[in-house]
Amino acid sequence: MIRVLFFGALADIAGREQLDLTWQPSLDSPAAIRLALAASAPALERALQQPQVLVARNLDQAGWDTPVADGDEIAFMPPVTGG
Amino acid sequence: MATRSPLCPLSPVADLIRIQQQDFDLAREYQALRRDSAAGATADTGIGAIVTFTGLVRDFLNVATEALDTAATLDADAGTGSDRGATSPAPGLYLQHYPGMTERSLTAIVDEARRRWRLNRVRVIHRVGQLAPGDQIVFVGVAAAHRGEAFAACEFIMDYLKIRAMFWKKESGPRGSRWVESRDSDQAAASRWQSDDRD
Repeated sequence: MIRVLFFGALADIAGREQLDLTWQPSLDSPAAIRLALAASAPALERALQQPQVLVARNLDQAGWDTPVADGDEIAFMPPVTGG
Repeated sequence: MATRSPLCPLSPVADLIRIQQQDFDLAREYQALRRDSAAGATADTGIGAIVTFTGLVRDFLNVATEALDTAATLDADAGTGSDRGATSPAPGLYLQHYPGMTERSLTAIVDEARRRWRLNRVRVIHRVGQLAPGDQIVFVGVAAAHRGEAFAACEFIMDYLKIRAMFWKKESGPRGSRWVESRDSDQAAASRWQSDDRD
């Protein structure tokens, strides 16, 4: 299973903060996960295409082609606005 | 914690990095920077300067209070997003974070500050959840031997917190609520430190 987390406005667009995907070898990167969302959530997939979207794998900042394995937690985050 | 000799004021100390809903007390944080709690009430004589920064929730709507009185007459014409049409939330900020990753991002910022300057204790507190205008939202406190290091490190930590730490703000007002957009000025403030050779 891959746990996908959405934060900020991305959670609003996704309509949820968390999505558990059954593991498949094709979900081998954040980019592949984004692509897999296109069919069921096209607006979300478009939002994730924005260049400023941040990606994390298991609490570490990652890239769109960082390898993803079964059991990983992948987060999609808008630019941060704390402080 | 290891006992610290006044002759060795910059021996490693654990940084405090805390994310919490509840408020914090500036006087207590200052005393914690000043004294080694493990050594009782003894002030750390290796510290020559303490710089603290406190961030407050600004009344970003400016007219929030007056607008609230007339909220009933305002229609959902603002197009403020997904919460449009809901009953008017109280004016304020909702702070979201990513438990685990947010702490890591703050630790990395403080570690970077420690690489650049010789610092004693560092304390960072960031509040999350629902906050009202005027509330304290963030605290950064830095103790060092000299003021130059303490001033610089405190500002550096705040500048990087704004662009690197995993927090997201949602503003609420009489017209609804919306996620705050990141600002180029924050990026610019942090990028100053990249061209700066301070060590």
